[in-house]
Amino acid sequence: MSHPLPDKQRKARRQAWLKEAARAGGRWNGSATGLLCLDGVAAIGFAAALAGGLASIGQGVGAAWPWLALGVVAATGRGVFGSLSLRAGGEAARRAKAALRRRVVVASLGIPAGERPPVGSLMTSAVDEVEALDGYIARFLPARRAAALVPFLILGATAIASPFSAGILAFTLIPFVLALALAGGAAADEARRQFDALSRLSALFADRVRGLPTILAFQAEAEETARLAGAADELRRRTVGVLRVAFLSSGALEFFAALSVALVAVYAGFNLLGLLPFPAPEALDLPRAFFVLALAPEFYAPMRRLAAAYHDKQAAETAADRLEALEAMARTPAGGARPIPRAPAIRFQGVAVRYPGEDRAAVEGFGLDMAPGEVVALLGPSGSGKTSLLNLLLGLAPLTEGEVLVDGLALSEAGSFAPSIAWMGQAPLIVPGSIAANVALSRQDASAGEIARAVEQAGLDAVLRARPGGLDAVLDERGGGLSGGERRRIALARALLKDAPILLLDEPTAHLDAAAEAALIPVIREGAKGRTTIIATHSERLAALADRVVRLG
Amino acid sequence: MIAMHLHQLIAAERARQRPRLLVAGIAAAAVSASSVLLLGLSGWFITASALAGAAGIASAQAFNYLLPSAGIRLLAILRTGSRYGERLVGHDAALRALARIRPALFSSLAAAPPAVALGLSTGEASARLVGDVNAVEARFVGLSARWGMVASLVSGVALLHLAGPAPALATGAITAAYLLLASRLATGLQAPGREAQRAAGRLKETYATLASAAPELRAYGLESWAAGRIDVRSADLLAAQNDVTAGAGLFDLAGAAATGLAAVGALALSADQPLPMAALAALGAAMTVDGTAAFARGLERRGASWEAEARLDAVLGAAAPPLPARPAMAGAPVVRLAEPAALLRPGTVVAITGPSGCGKTTLLETLLSLRPVAPGRISLGGVDLAALPPGAARRCFAHAPQDAALLAGTVRDNLRLACPAATEAALWEALRDAAMAERVAALPAGLDAWIGENGARLSGGERRRLVLARAYLRPTPWLLLDEPTEGLDAATEERVLNGLRHQLARTGQGALIVTHRLAPLALCGSIIRMGEVGGRDGQQGPIAWTEQEFA
Repeated sequence: MSHPLPDKQRKARRQAWLKEAARAGGRWNGSATGLLCLDGVAAIGFAAALAGGLASIGQGVGAAWPWLALGVVAATGRGVFGSLSLRAGGEAARRAKAALRRRVVVASLGIPAGERPPVGSLMTSAVDEVEALDGYIARFLPARRAAALVPFLILGATAIASPFSAGILAFTLIPFVLALALAGGAAADEARRQFDALSRLSALFADRVRGLPTILAFQAEAEETARLAGAADELRRRTVGVLRVAFLSSGALEFFAALSVALVAVYAGFNLLGLLPFPAPEALDLPRAFFVLALAPEFYAPMRRLAAAYHDKQAAETAADRLEALEAMARTPAGGARPIPRAPAIRFQGVAVRYPGEDRAAVEGFGLDMAPGEVVALLGPSGSGKTSLLNLLLGLAPLTEGEVLVDGLALSEAGSFAPSIAWMGQAPLIVPGSIAANVALSRQDASAGEIARAVEQAGLDAVLRARPGGLDAVLDERGGGLSGGERRRIALARALLKDAPILLLDEPTAHLDAAAEAALIPVIREGAKGRTTIIATHSERLAALADRVVRLG
Repeated sequence: MIAMHLHQLIAAERARQRPRLLVAGIAAAAVSASSVLLLGLSGWFITASALAGAAGIASAQAFNYLLPSAGIRLLAILRTGSRYGERLVGHDAALRALARIRPALFSSLAAAPPAVALGLSTGEASARLVGDVNAVEARFVGLSARWGMVASLVSGVALLHLAGPAPALATGAITAAYLLLASRLATGLQAPGREAQRAAGRLKETYATLASAAPELRAYGLESWAAGRIDVRSADLLAAQNDVTAGAGLFDLAGAAATGLAAVGALALSADQPLPMAALAALGAAMTVDGTAAFARGLERRGASWEAEARLDAVLGAAAPPLPARPAMAGAPVVRLAEPAALLRPGTVVAITGPSGCGKTTLLETLLSLRPVAPGRISLGGVDLAALPPGAARRCFAHAPQDAALLAGTVRDNLRLACPAATEAALWEALRDAAMAERVAALPAGLDAWIGENGARLSGGERRRLVLARAYLRPTPWLLLDEPTEGLDAATEERVLNGLRHQLARTGQGALIVTHRLAPLALCGSIIRMGEVGGRDGQQGPIAWTEQEFA
């Protein structure tokens, strides 16, 4: 609490973010709340049915049956409204999560390489952290809105039967709200700290599990086990104290809920006996008194439901902070320069690429002049910046210094030359579907003839002849059954199909054995014809096909 | 630690926490019983008061109102106090159990075969393990709910017995039917729950595949296409979750219908009873069902909790029996590689080079017994590595891994991992030799600076140097350095290599240095070149060394 203002601002921003995320639930948000309110109405009906039933049961079940039937209907109605509210809340959450996930996915794909968190961490954000909003939208928000309305519905119904009892309920509400206002803030803080402490312990455990290879390598199992035990034990000792306070707010809720029932019961009983120590404010009869009593527990029920959903809120807030940070890292990719019609000249002038937060520039003072249609091999060990130079042309790496000119067009102005580039890497993208569909990823409007031509140019047709189904053979998610060489040929066919004037090849023969590499090299040489081509590689054999070899590192 | 089954672990903790769980259970029982009695008594009191009041003032005066009204207030207080006690003691017991289960689990994981540890180093696997552990803890907190359920049933049936056996039996039967139905629903929910989990897995897989292909997505303008594909998977997941929600809604429906039926049934069945008894029966019956709702909702999570335990059991069950102990190796061992034949004498500095993916990192991890090794491939001090207990091999090596893995904690925590007894001076010397001392000295908290999860507050090069300093602190005959200077600028690389030279001269350690860069080769007496030998077209072979040469 030492920085109240930034904290407050952060809270306000987080609330606005969550509100915005929940908005995608549309009218289902309202439906979930409305159905919870109907549940309150049905509760009133149930209390009335019990009171009416009791008043008429003396004359036998025959006289009481309409009330008893109402009781069954009202109770079932509560169940129906409750479960429909859950479904409506679920639908609101589904829509909100779908929209949010779409946003997070687009944002995460738009984070520039180098600034990008590892794929695993992005995946956690896009899947699990988006899921953390589920309980918040499906349960917490409807419960909060209903908690602002239903108690007053109950109060109103009570007031019709017994204004004084309504007064008693309202009277217990005042100290309850005061208690929450006085202790509640502190209790909520304590609860939040408790939640944080638990998640820290959980994070420590996760960290040590992830770091297990390191711990094993250093034979520190015993020390780290003791550390985990110590941290868990310390959390326990601290937490029990915290919980004493944290449970006070739920204790207050319980206390006032029980107190309201007890006060209403005692008042109604004394009123009926005519033994009130003060002049009776109203004349009660049994049905009314019983109605009021049966309704009393419902007065605090919405607030108890809200308290039960409190963890959903905390989980959503934690996720909101992380997702907001992720979205802030995203940049809309530059549209890129218009497609260039034929193989361009490319000139790198004093180019430096430095990723934020890194000590060393990935590339520094790089210069290269390429004639239209020239094939250049960048040869060098990993980490020498080859891939960064290729990413630079796609707008996936930051141009920190210098300039790249493609047919005189400046990269710093265009942002990217992606529309004029065909790419092939060492781990080509394979998606479930036919081989033809995989090839056509680069140009989804390509005709079967164009695909067949690209497949032939890439030397894929010879390979496919041996495979049942040929081009129409369906691949699974992992591209199971494809050899490394086949994958590269699919990627090459994909690149050739785009028919772009610039061809970028990033380690196209890495992890291939000598024979597979030898078979691929002539195909690459053919494909590079008529295109300004850059090949990043550590293979001398591959580099030998280039017009010029540039050594890096 | 010996392999231990999770249910044994949980049973042991339950036994240990029995007194607290007992108190929490009794408190839960008191909550349920006092809720049932509070409403039942209140209903009886109001109705009896109405009858007495209607019978005239004399009858009202004669009515003993003190006892019931005092009872009502007492029950209200008892309910509140018990609920508070139940939560506090229940959480205390769970936290105490947690404080022992987590370390025990961790220790079992550490004893499991090496593949388990490496498998968990991906965020996804460790996150699932942590989620499973959390599910086990949640079970501990929920243990008292069954006491509440039993107390609710017993006190409800006993109270309703005052209004005759019929309402008591009916309420008991309706409650039992409700619990049975809830159990059935919970079983029915397991399949949609698993389907939702599988859909989440498929979504993650699709996301990971597409997010790893950034250059292709950009070159072919496929970013929004990729987002669309992920969206389809996301929709599958959300649809699967809808089935779960629909099933969960049935719990609410069943609970509310059972409450209404019990109240109405008890009222109808006590028609021949005095009116106050009928009132008692109606409200008491409603609260009896209500008091079992917490337990019924707990059943909803039962399937997930069982699956979590089964998964944890699979991890723990895989723990290997400890290998027979062997005498510790005396002095510095010779490392012999079978394929290619290479003999590395203590104190020699050897570079390992070769294209990425040829198994250099794997070789270091194999030496550390982090990966299984076939007999006859590697020997250490004349003993086959495959026959050595992992501890004996690890004692010989200090590792600076390529991914520069650090633990969440302070600089000191991370350095002490290598040598818990290291003095302040030793820590600084290691940092100096890793060219990291100035950087740490500049941190506001120095050695006690928090470096974040996996050193997130440091740059890539700083992490690498800190990992190097950590390796220097471990007094072993061999250093295993995986790309020690990758990502460093030339000047820093020079300082790091000077520091390494100093460290080697001071300790007489031998070193295996995996490197792509040229500068470290200057320190090395020999070079092992690892090649690409594959079986078929493009398939990576296992660890293979094709060629080695000694300079």
